[in-house]
Amino acid sequence: MLKRKINLWHILLLLVILGAILPILFMISNSFKTLRDSYGTMLNLIPLHPTLENYQLLNQQVNLLGLTWNTFLMATMVTVGKLLTGLLTAYAFRSYQFKGKMLIYLIFVSTIFVPFTIVMIPNYLVIAKLNLLNNIIGVALPQLCDATGIMIFLKTMEKIPNSLIDAAKIDNIPNRRIFFNIVVPILKPSIVSVGAIFFINSWNEYVWPTLILKDKASFTLPLALQNYISSEGGTNFPLAMALSTIMVILPLIIYLIFQKYILNSISNSGLK
Amino acid sequence: MSKSNATIELKKISKEFKKNTIIDGLDLSVKAGEFLVLLGPSGCGKSTTLRMIAGLEEPTSGAVMIDDENLQEMKDDGHTIAMVFQDYALYPNMTVYQNLEYALKVHKVPAEERKNRIENVLQTLNLVKYKDRLPSQLSGGQKQRVAVGRGMVKKSKIFLLDEPLSNIDVQLREKARDEIQKLHVMNQQTIVYVTHDQLEAMALGDRIAVMNQGIIQMIDIPENIYNKPTNLFVAKFIGTPQINLIEVELQGNQLKLAGKTVIETMDVHLQSQSYYLGVRPENLHCSKTRVSDLSLEVVVEDIVDYGRFVQLLLVMEDGRHLKAIVNELAFETGDKVFVTLQQETSLLFDPTTEKNLYWGNYE
Repeated sequence: MLKRKINLWHILLLLVILGAILPILFMISNSFKTLRDSYGTMLNLIPLHPTLENYQLLNQQVNLLGLTWNTFLMATMVTVGKLLTGLLTAYAFRSYQFKGKMLIYLIFVSTIFVPFTIVMIPNYLVIAKLNLLNNIIGVALPQLCDATGIMIFLKTMEKIPNSLIDAAKIDNIPNRRIFFNIVVPILKPSIVSVGAIFFINSWNEYVWPTLILKDKASFTLPLALQNYISSEGGTNFPLAMALSTIMVILPLIIYLIFQKYILNSISNSGLK
Repeated sequence: MSKSNATIELKKISKEFKKNTIIDGLDLSVKAGEFLVLLGPSGCGKSTTLRMIAGLEEPTSGAVMIDDENLQEMKDDGHTIAMVFQDYALYPNMTVYQNLEYALKVHKVPAEERKNRIENVLQTLNLVKYKDRLPSQLSGGQKQRVAVGRGMVKKSKIFLLDEPLSNIDVQLREKARDEIQKLHVMNQQTIVYVTHDQLEAMALGDRIAVMNQGIIQMIDIPENIYNKPTNLFVAKFIGTPQINLIEVELQGNQLKLAGKTVIETMDVHLQSQSYYLGVRPENLHCSKTRVSDLSLEVVVEDIVDYGRFVQLLLVMEDGRHLKAIVNELAFETGDKVFVTLQQETSLLFDPTTEKNLYWGNYE
């Protein structure tokens, strides 16, 4: 039926896909194995004695719903914050002429190159002073603004023809309206794709939350997972795989739903 | 109801961009209900002038007055001025209907009236069946009509159009031009229309302002722009094929071309010196036989048949070229042709000031 020619590129791409998908299949299959099986037949993709006991055990040991909710809350706050501040800042850079604009923009962008380890301690001290330790808000607060978003949104906004903004100005449309009714809808594809990336990054975040969240009730999923792969939590491998599987579900769904947008924003700006 | 149009007056407007002067002390007044065309080559400042009238650019100095009120100090509710952009600038995320409705909605025009106005405009512009389409699903001509419609629903006193026809197909352009003309007759708004197309300007304008290098070279009715251009620039810019410009010598009442008298001038009191003689190609009288002693003998070098008229490229003895337009294909390449010039249909320009001298009789 399919008579498409297979060339070297296809084989290469297939290998890449395998490289990406195998670990995920491996993770899922092991999460359904018993501890004994997982040691004996770790590389088997189909479990010999499929079982749900890992998930049941996990459910007894930790508050799965609470963990997921914490993670979701944190990722949502960070994503919404980064998107809103990024869009507003980019619009300001796009629409207003002011002294030192270029300099301010460069300072903003250069923060991308400041390693997290440098700001970690000062941020921690501020959050501690604000009495936000063990609080999801404490994790999200320093991350509500991000220069990457500003840069990407500014680049996309620069592609919006000036005449479109001028047309709205002649009709005396207030700036707030121009922003929300015209600019934001045009930028929708890049907002969705950048937002998805922000969300997933935040969802998987580990180092910064471990500093702020000490109380187990405030843990996010990656923090809980750490307990199962450190010496402290023993080495129950299939249990860790089960938690990993749970952790990966939401990002995976987001990717699947928005993959059209994500690909779109990579291949074009959404205008035209 | 308030007046449907307004006067525009530009007082000593100047505009600089990064220390480059684009417009220098421009004065212009547009009458209420007038259709004024700003015509000029690209980069002449006509679009900048329009943008200053629109309030999109602030003049570096000078003032824009709308109905004797300073535009900068006006409290505009968005109803005074409407504008159509060259690239139409339709909101890509809104349908045709929403594009027309948006400004009215923001300015809280009552729903009933909003609906009436939009339906009306859609009908007038033949857009009813496209009202739910997005701009990306429209052709160039349709987009242009939506852009005009978006300006129309506002019922503004002033309507500004920035090269609205330059992005649509030639076949559609004439129809669109007629439509704009009709709308002006119907709505009686004050229109300022920017174009680089002289045909559009001649067809549409009550008056035409010809601009070059930020200065209005001439402002007058189309007929005078064509027949009585004030200077060489206007004479050359208007008319295709371009006006013939010939270096001539005036000696007493003898106008000489390469030593040979071509016109015996009447009632001319100008210094005997060299001038530029401007003759429109259709005013070069061509014949196979010598009409008078003043006829000039030339040779047909090339013929272009445009169907409606025939253009002859003529070469004079000294190698200079002339272009002539004749109604029928009566000549062949290589033919000897006698060209006769007439004072009434020729223009005389000063070679240094480049001004039209009107044969010394200033009007």
